[in-house]
Parts: sequence; C-alpha cells; structure tokens
Amino acid sequence: MSAAFPRRRFPEGTTVEDLRSYMEPFVRQLGYRFNDDEEFVAEVLGSEIEILDSAGDVYCPCRVRSGNPKEDLKIVCPCIPFYADQFAKLQKCWCGLFVRTDVEDGSELHGVIEVPEGPADVPVALADEFPPGTLRTVRLGKRDVALARVGDEFFALGNVCRHAFGPLGQGFLDGHTAVCPWHGWRYDVRDGTTDHPGADVATYPTSVRDGYVFITV
Amino acid sequence: MQVRLFALSTCPYCRMAKRFLDDGSVQYELTEVDSLDGQEKDDAIAEVREISGGASFPVIVVGDEVIVGFNKKRIKELLDL
Repeated sequence: MSAAFPRRRFPEGTTVEDLRSYMEPFVRQLGYRFNDDEEFVAEVLGSEIEILDSAGDVYCPCRVRSGNPKEDLKIVCPCIPFYADQFAKLQKCWCGLFVRTDVEDGSELHGVIEVPEGPADVPVALADEFPPGTLRTVRLGKRDVALARVGDEFFALGNVCRHAFGPLGQGFLDGHTAVCPWHGWRYDVRDGTTDHPGADVATYPTSVRDGYVFITV
Repeated sequence: MQVRLFALSTCPYCRMAKRFLDDGSVQYELTEVDSLDGQEKDDAIAEVREISGGASFPVIVVGDEVIVGFNKKRIKELLDL
C-alpha cells in the first residue's frame, strides 16, 4: 500500500557514499556539515543503510519509529529542519552525524545531548543563495517562519497570515511589505504590522555571519 | 547500584555506551528495544518514554538518575569510574 504523502526513496544497492553525496549539499544549505570523525560517519550511515533495507527509508538510527508515517517523517535523516532550534543549541544533530559549520572539531561533541537553556541563533539559509526580493518559508523546529530579504537586510516574521492562515512565506514582496498569497493581506516585514487592527504577526531578530543567515528564537 | 541500558541495535551511541560499560566492568541490564517484538516492544518504548520523556537512545538509568544520550562524563560521575 502506498503512503499518501511524499517520501524520498533510494534504490536498492544504495551505498554510504551515495547517501553522503546526496545529503551533503542539503545540510550545507542549513548550516551543517558531516562530523569530522570519518569512522563515526561511516558507522551512522552504515546503520542507515540497514534501516533503509528493513524499513524503507533512512530513519535516524538513534530514535525509535512510532509506526505513524506522518510522525516518523520527522526522524528521516537529515532531520535538521524539524529540530532546527534544538540542534542549533547542541551544535549538532541528535546522532552527531552532522555538526554546525561553525564547529571546529565535531568529534568533540560526541554524546552531548543536553540542550542548553536560552535563545539560539538558528542557521536557516546561505545568504548568497537568497537574493534581494526573496520571500520564503523556513522550518524552525516546530514552527514555520517567513524569511524575507530586502536589499542587504533580512527579516523574519510569523509565517501564518492572521486573516485565513495563509502561508506568508509563499507570498511575494513589495518593498518592505510581505503580501499573503491567499487574499493579499499585507505585513511590514520590519515589525510584523498590518493595517488590519489586532492582526500583527511576530517578528524575530536575524543576523548574517560567515555567509549564513541566522534567526534568533 | 542497579544500572539499566535501553538501546537500539542500530545506534552508534548505544554501541559506545555498551563498550564503555563493558570496559568498566559495570554490571547492567540491557534492553535492546528494536530487537523486541509486539507487546514487549511497545512496553519497552512506553517505559523509555516515561523515564526519559522521549524516544531517543541510549537511555541509561543509574539508581534514580536518568541519562539520555551517551554522556560519558555523567556516567563516570554516577558510577565512580
């Protein structure tokens, strides 16, 4: 029976190297790279290949599947967007297969899993690949955020339009205004305000370092 | 002190935790959750959720203390290794 939602499938005979080259460009966009401990990376990816053969997808080797396919999508590797806020604080994904690009030696992070308290700067995009005039939805753990670039400035705001819950990040930019794709409600990306009373959306601080755009949550 | 290790057979940190406990000659009760079937597996997952608040592995229980993940420093402290 086929599932009613999209799933990436890998062909039979998929190797550790195949997974590596498939995942590397994706996680780089998110501000992560493979752990420096090559042996460890080979071990984790080897486990994922075994899981792929037995369970049909590259589920996390360190977490248990619930049996609910929609829930389990959140532990298909790489799972970074679904835990972006937690992992940003840990500086690595749960397994440590991926570490943040600003970590010097990822092998030193082995085993650390207690999430530090306080706000986190979450890397969400490569600045160079997010040209001026772009508006897009980025996943930040449990919430979606609309990220906009106007000139050289980045703005992050709540993704859900307060009118009919349309996805603001899928709308378009008109100067500093994000326009909802559903009915054209307009929000100022600088402060989340709209001309409909009581319908403003939250905004989040952003920063740019080492070529990455960060949202603070 | 009673030591329990909840692990997945596929998880590298679980393997590291096993090796670490074995090397320290620690006696522990091992539950390899993904090697169980049916009700036993469901029960083990429910227990891990109750103890650790999640379903991430390894979970190491030392007396009343619960360690989620292979936190070598914390295990050393609790077991006086």
